[in-house]
Amino acid sequence: MDKNYEQFWEKVTNLLGAERVYTSDKMLDSFRASDPEVDGNPLALLKPESGSQIPDLMKLAREEKVNLVYCSSSTPRFRGDTVPKGDGVIVDMSSLENIVRVDRRNKVALIEPGVTFPELISEVDKVGLKVLMPLLPRTGKSVLASYLEREPILIPKYHWDMTDPLLCTELVFGTGDKFRTGSAAGPGSLEQQWAVGGAQKNPLGPAQTDMARLVQGSQGTLAAVTWATVKLELKPTIHKFYFIPATDLSKLIEFAYKALRPKLGDEFFILNSYELSTLVGNEGSEIDKIADKQYPYTLVFAVAGYQHLPEKRVAYQEKDMARIAKEADVNITREVPGCSANRMASLVGGCSSPEYYKTKPRGAFREIFFLTTLDQANKYINIMHENLDKYDYPRERMGIYIQPIQHGRTVHVEFSLYYDPNIDSESKDLDNLYAEASESLASAGAFFSRPYGVWSDLAYRYCPDTVKALNKVKDILDPDHILNRGTLCFEEVK
Amino acid sequence: MALEDYKNDMEGCSRCSSCKWIPFNQVKSWRFAHNCPAISRYNLHAYSGSGKMIMGLSMLTGRSELNESIMDIIFTCQLCGACDTACKVYRDDIDLMDVLLELRTHCVEEGELVIEHMATIDALKRENNMLGEKKEARGDWADGLPVKDINQETVDVLFHAGCRYSYDQDSREALRGIVKLLVDSGVDVGIAGASETCCGGRAYKFGYQGEAENYADDMLSRVKSSGASLLVTPCADGYSAFNYLYPRMKKELPVEVLHISQYLERLLKNGEINLKNNVPRKVTYHDPCYLGRMGEPYLGDWQDSKLLRPMSMKRAGRNGVYDTPRDIIKQIPALELVEMERIREYSWCCGAGGGVWEAYPDFAVWTASERIEEALSTGADTLVTSCPWCLRVFREALAETEKDLRIMDISELFLESAGICSPATLKGGGAL
Amino acid sequence: MISDEALGAFQVIVGEENVSREPAVLDTYAWQPTINDDPAKWVYRPVAVVLPGSTAEVQEVVKVCNKHGLKFKATTTGWGVYSGPTSDNVVQFDMRRMNKIIEIDEKNMYAVVEPYVTGAQLQAEAMKLGLNTHIIGAGPVCSPLASATSGWGVGWDCIYMSYSARNVLGVEWVLPDGELLYLGTPGSGSEWFCGDGPGPSLRGILRGTSGALGGHGVFTRCAIKLFNWPGPSELHTEGLLLDAQSEIPENIRFHMCFFPDRDKLADAVYEIGDAEIGYLATRVSPNVFLYGATPRLFRKLTRTSALRSLLSETLKWMFVIVLMGSSREEIEYQDAVVKKIVGDYKGFSLEMTEVPVIGPILPMNFLRVSAIPAIFRLGGLFTTALGRNETWDTQLDWAEVGEELRKRRIEQGEVLDDMGDNPFMALYENNTWSHCENIYQYDTRNEKHLEKLHTIFAESTIRAMEICQEPLSSFDWRVRKILGPLLYDYNYWQKQIAQSFGAEGAADTGMYCDEVDYDLSAGDPQLKEKLEKIIAEKK
Repeated sequence: MDKNYEQFWEKVTNLLGAERVYTSDKMLDSFRASDPEVDGNPLALLKPESGSQIPDLMKLAREEKVNLVYCSSSTPRFRGDTVPKGDGVIVDMSSLENIVRVDRRNKVALIEPGVTFPELISEVDKVGLKVLMPLLPRTGKSVLASYLEREPILIPKYHWDMTDPLLCTELVFGTGDKFRTGSAAGPGSLEQQWAVGGAQKNPLGPAQTDMARLVQGSQGTLAAVTWATVKLELKPTIHKFYFIPATDLSKLIEFAYKALRPKLGDEFFILNSYELSTLVGNEGSEIDKIADKQYPYTLVFAVAGYQHLPEKRVAYQEKDMARIAKEADVNITREVPGCSANRMASLVGGCSSPEYYKTKPRGAFREIFFLTTLDQANKYINIMHENLDKYDYPRERMGIYIQPIQHGRTVHVEFSLYYDPNIDSESKDLDNLYAEASESLASAGAFFSRPYGVWSDLAYRYCPDTVKALNKVKDILDPDHILNRGTLCFEEVK
Repeated sequence: MALEDYKNDMEGCSRCSSCKWIPFNQVKSWRFAHNCPAISRYNLHAYSGSGKMIMGLSMLTGRSELNESIMDIIFTCQLCGACDTACKVYRDDIDLMDVLLELRTHCVEEGELVIEHMATIDALKRENNMLGEKKEARGDWADGLPVKDINQETVDVLFHAGCRYSYDQDSREALRGIVKLLVDSGVDVGIAGASETCCGGRAYKFGYQGEAENYADDMLSRVKSSGASLLVTPCADGYSAFNYLYPRMKKELPVEVLHISQYLERLLKNGEINLKNNVPRKVTYHDPCYLGRMGEPYLGDWQDSKLLRPMSMKRAGRNGVYDTPRDIIKQIPALELVEMERIREYSWCCGAGGGVWEAYPDFAVWTASERIEEALSTGADTLVTSCPWCLRVFREALAETEKDLRIMDISELFLESAGICSPATLKGGGAL
Repeated sequence: MISDEALGAFQVIVGEENVSREPAVLDTYAWQPTINDDPAKWVYRPVAVVLPGSTAEVQEVVKVCNKHGLKFKATTTGWGVYSGPTSDNVVQFDMRRMNKIIEIDEKNMYAVVEPYVTGAQLQAEAMKLGLNTHIIGAGPVCSPLASATSGWGVGWDCIYMSYSARNVLGVEWVLPDGELLYLGTPGSGSEWFCGDGPGPSLRGILRGTSGALGGHGVFTRCAIKLFNWPGPSELHTEGLLLDAQSEIPENIRFHMCFFPDRDKLADAVYEIGDAEIGYLATRVSPNVFLYGATPRLFRKLTRTSALRSLLSETLKWMFVIVLMGSSREEIEYQDAVVKKIVGDYKGFSLEMTEVPVIGPILPMNFLRVSAIPAIFRLGGLFTTALGRNETWDTQLDWAEVGEELRKRRIEQGEVLDDMGDNPFMALYENNTWSHCENIYQYDTRNEKHLEKLHTIFAESTIRAMEICQEPLSSFDWRVRKILGPLLYDYNYWQKQIAQSFGAEGAADTGMYCDEVDYDLSAGDPQLKEKLEKIIAEKK
């Protein structure tokens, strides 16, 4: 152990138990490898077993000025947000893996950070509920981590606000203070609240702040989350998927606007040929073959029936979707090359398996994602294509995923650059391509709302007022800057 | 009454700000949602109906004192009644207009006087009209008309021209045309000519209750001596004074009172007049405040808590004259009616009322300009109204612009279609 | 009163006619009787009123305030005690001159508005584009920007159009030091479509359950979500409130549903939420319709035991749901589901759109929320008591608490007799969570009523805490010291934010983070005991 932190090791071992403090390279390597650009030095991995240990841990870190990086998902990790900048101690919350409560009536679950998507899906399924899913997360992905990162969910009508599906949280600030958000704040303990019918469903407050909003998207720089309630929805009794393949993306966009406005549909997203094929294919060459048969873009949507008159619901939605399709001059099908509607249904209802789907085509990938509006999507695709062309990256091998969120007011646009890390010609220019493309997208107005890695400088360059304000917030919630130092726009502690 | 007597009304204000907007069910656009010219122009809450009530309460409870600035705000108000109507959509227990009127009386009693109003009242006392014109000339408009003089003989119908119509040259032909029409239709109609005096309505609004009462007494005796059973006036101010103010002052006239539009409609219904000529215009109709919401007759005194006052005794503008002019317009061949957004009880004021024309002419013209914009937004080529003060201020406002819009009185349209007057002779008429 | 120097500085920025320090004029901002439990009904008189006309002017006047040691508080239509100053030395910013709809992005369903745009105006313009805006329960006179950034935001359209706090996209914010802060995309030059990020969302310091009520700056622009409006571009309406007769779109249904008991109502509403139907929905007591429409008759009805029983017991469990469909099939589906659920739970439903005279009164009055202020008719004023918005079951509990407290007050003659049950309930986002506030009707000139307002305030606050609900009054400086420790010292954090952003001493922080020692029990030993017990149990 790093002798510079001797006092810290002693105290933390006392707090957590020696069996929960890891320093072997084997345990720490995964916190180095995911972003080779970042000069990170994970000193130890801590695995607390209870959220009640976190306040003391934070206080210890404050005393000893130790950098803590919280994580909760298992490997592999891809975004570099859990690699410390400089020295840092990883706090792995994956041992906090309780699904504390599932409430069918109020469609909510209270979960700890270590709960993964497969675990939660399985549990809530028992009571006829479903988890609001991002697109094929990896099996080890923490549900809380996904929601805290503001990963987009597949069903726009359930995305009322950017915090969804996250509801209430228990936080521990970098000061070591515990705080509960939303109706979880009380008054009263959780048990007292449950006894009177509360279920921690109101995400707002308490009073006149929304600390959960601050913490979401903060990449662990403001607080740790020890549990949260998450919104669930009814599992449909009928759930039908459809495809709209198209050459012209603008027609799918027209369809999307018209369908999303009256909150039609359940799952609803657009993939380009390569991304769709990556989802449905098994490995590289198969994916390429399927991709070659696909239309350039495919909109995937589902309609669902629930408890009451499900057939009638599906029927009217099908009819309305058909009418809109006609207006948009597109056709709806139940099958695309490599994938039937039923197959898509089972895919998006679960996780990538066995490996994360994006590793299938070439073994590695880099993602560029940002927010914009549907009507701007084509503009950014063109910009991306121009950048690809500069580096001879084949356009047809880039994945594009367009996910409407906030009822379609905003879209998450995601470009996936697939490459074989063992082939020099595929990997050597990737960093430059990535950086330049990101730069040109940002300067054209792409909003990097989740600024990982190099996007941080990029995003905050445009909003110095936000930087100033965020630093004030940081100084309140983490005055000693013990949380994920060097991340986002936070200045060094003087 | 004194300001103290309205304490309950003032204290009832919940400061909801509804008085600044037309009733919300009628808001059709961002642009034409406002109802109160004063706050629309000057923006401070004090200028709204609620604001003035709260100022009254503030003074009444000794929190502040009346001074020239406050007096100025009180009088920068057309007393159009829009705030009152909007408030009464929800409230039964506040008579906003009564408070506003009382505030003016209070100002006068306390010696906070609007100089221009003082001058007008002085002139009124001398010349019996609100325009400062010579009283001897009041009847000149009727020279040569075969109409009875009520000073000489009794009549069935007393025609009260009103101050503005009597002296306004632009309306002369229309006025003469109307009386000629009545005479030709066999109506036993007479006028007071030079002995006609102001109804006193505007004096009341200036805060000079005493003067108003004097003129009411004068009117009362004139009506009685005329032998008439019906009083007809083309002036909306006069109509409201006779129908509402006089009974409120316990000086109710012992005759039926009609606005000229109502009487013309009656003649149409009886088949005594035909509207035969085409009037190929696209018109929009401006509801004058004092024919519309403030033309509602007096509904009587309610002595108990206003919370218990029945709707039938709550003066909310529901019984104003709205349909009659419209029905006339609809009967005129080739005439198309398009409505503005703010009409009927929630009409925007022309700008001339409440002493604003006299003391704050820029504000009056500003208010009128707003209305002209609204009229133009309908695509109409003609703005029609049925009040001489509206006519005057609209014409003044239009003259300051290069907008293409005719301003006409309802009677002018009527006369044109009835063939009594040719378009060229009417101020608002002529080729488009 | 402000100095001549400060006055002059304001006048240079906004123009002479847009500043006043005339006492009577200032009192028009100090008269704040609504939701004010002080019988006097006056709040602090501002030391001046200033009307800025642009963001730049707002910044400048804020800086003048800073320079002269003046506090400031912005207000729009100003309905409610929280609009007025909470202490001495406050300059009231009346935002009336900033009244524009900057843009409506029809495709992406949002509007960018200035502070003084009212709900009615925004809805009228939005409807022309097939869109609608959430209008809060206080009615269409209120400012959507003020509600979204600084107030609360409940309404009966929340089932479809959510709560104001959730409808905020990009924001332009003049901080207490006069500097500009943009929340979300406008800060990055990327239109107004997102209010969160980059990274942490500063909407977290913008507001929570409620906003800062003027306590941390001035919001000069806000992008607000709009929602689908499948009706005509204008609902032609003749007449005003109770005379209103609107055209009734074909694709609307208006169900008044009655259930035999609380449990069946509760379960039925959960299923309505699960079915994801409804455009407007509320639970109010049938009494509300009567005393809003016919207050005089209602007063007589309250003396008739049979009618009283009919209204407050037999028909008590009423739920109103308005359906709108974007297609004929959709409305038929929604209609069938409502009927099925009502039938399943042994209730009955009156579909009102076909009912002559009454049917046509409903659309505009509900869609524009014009009807709500009719509740003033019974007594001239009302006060309200919120518990914590949470699950539907908890809100029904709060309604019952309200009924119990209200009945006691009615018996004592301390509030008007509304027959006892008077909740205003709404669903958020297909009943993800829901709302209840308990309305107390009183006669604003009745001294006994005025005296007891504080008791209602205290009692409601304490009873909310008792059933684990954060009371409405968490924004009130009298309550923060008591409530703070029970809610994770929320006020400490708010104070930190206020200090860090320069609000303390600059903005009027009375309703944001100020706190005082206060006897919430008002000397009532029973309340005091209850409060102490709650504090002990729930800390």
